[in-house]
Amino acid sequence: MGVPEEVAAIRQSAALSRMDHVRCVCVRGERAYEALDGVVTSDLRVRDGQMIHSLLLEDDGRIVADIHLGRDGEEFLIFSEGPDSVELQDYLHRHLGAAGAEFEDWSQARALLMINGPYAWELLALLLGGDVVGLPYLTLFHFDDGICFRAGKTGEYGYGILIPRENLESLWMRLLEMGRALDVTVAGLDALDQCALENWYFNIRREGREPVTPVEVQLQWRVSNRKSYVGSECVARRRQEGPRQRITCLVTEGPIAVGDAIEIDGSPVGWVVNAGHSSTLDRWVSLGLLDIRWAHSGLDVFRVRAAGGEVGARTMSPPLVNNRSLHVSPQIHSYATRHEFTFPPLRRP
Amino acid sequence: MSTNLHEQIQQRLAVLEEVRTMLIERLRVARDSDEIDPDTPLFGSGLGLDSIDAVELLVCLTADFGTKLPDDATGRAEMRSVNSLVDIILAARETANGRA
Repeated sequence: MGVPEEVAAIRQSAALSRMDHVRCVCVRGERAYEALDGVVTSDLRVRDGQMIHSLLLEDDGRIVADIHLGRDGEEFLIFSEGPDSVELQDYLHRHLGAAGAEFEDWSQARALLMINGPYAWELLALLLGGDVVGLPYLTLFHFDDGICFRAGKTGEYGYGILIPRENLESLWMRLLEMGRALDVTVAGLDALDQCALENWYFNIRREGREPVTPVEVQLQWRVSNRKSYVGSECVARRRQEGPRQRITCLVTEGPIAVGDAIEIDGSPVGWVVNAGHSSTLDRWVSLGLLDIRWAHSGLDVFRVRAAGGEVGARTMSPPLVNNRSLHVSPQIHSYATRHEFTFPPLRRP
Repeated sequence: MSTNLHEQIQQRLAVLEEVRTMLIERLRVARDSDEIDPDTPLFGSGLGLDSIDAVELLVCLTADFGTKLPDDATGRAEMRSVNSLVDIILAARETANGRA
């Protein structure tokens, strides 16, 4: 099965993914809250069982990690994308350890799975019972020997399941077996990345490689304007000066690649920082780091210097997909009865 | 920069600022205008608007901008981000100007 089929499952049924690229760290200790509050970029207003979507920055404001942070009693769980285990531990040691918090990398002992799709809740209900369909976005709960949370970066219903690693294979097989009636498919990282691109979820492995702060990548909503955190001085300065560039979504008539120059009337105005063919939309989608003067949606004036020749491009407002999950209600719909309803097309006009 | 393109950008920036002001003043988003990036999600973890805010947003779009979303299904898709609001306001004004 290829990426288009995996993406189709995420967009129209449900898909199961191993999330070995996500590091999970438990932070605890009397100073855990204060220490974390001085590190994560968002306001740390998180009660037991709640999660936030936030960032970790370096002192110069560059983005180090894209994180979900959950509160589990007196402990905090960080689900981090970006740095590997060694890099993340080094970062946490420098910033959390110095502030008096203890942390433990759970990534070796535990495994993380994700279920994404408009009917992901149906598979989860088969596993954990019908109550889970009411789980609010960005909340977590314990079950047996695992933790389940609702989050995701595909634009569809998304649920994470953190379990002891020795239980991974049996749970994986069980979910695939349970999911047969839902046409559950296994989706890899390429499919998840394509969905993130279609829906404008920040990708630390693509645009996150650029030396950018949250200001250039339009993530100021994940940044507190009330507190100090690692990198906050640089972010505040960048905001005050005004960004010179901003990430903007483009669609093109043909293939393009990361690093391709973006021009207007032959003059360079930016470059491609993430690109891929969207099988959902059947068009090429990209993110450009554009000169701030041109970083606006709705402009049909760009040319991309791609390997295969010049390609026309226009900026658009993401998300580019009309996510089916917006129109599927666990109280009304089910995968078995999906043909009895008419849903809007996945492709936005 | 051609005059048309310059005007298109200025028009978009003006509507973007109007939407930001509406979000801050009418929907009590606790942010400065320049902290609200154009592609910021409105609901969920973005600006954190909820279903009650969605109703207020519809009222504001109608009362302040003369823009009415066609139906519930389309409306949900159109109210995803700050920029998607700007898009529908610009489209509505263009339609209105075409009629005039």
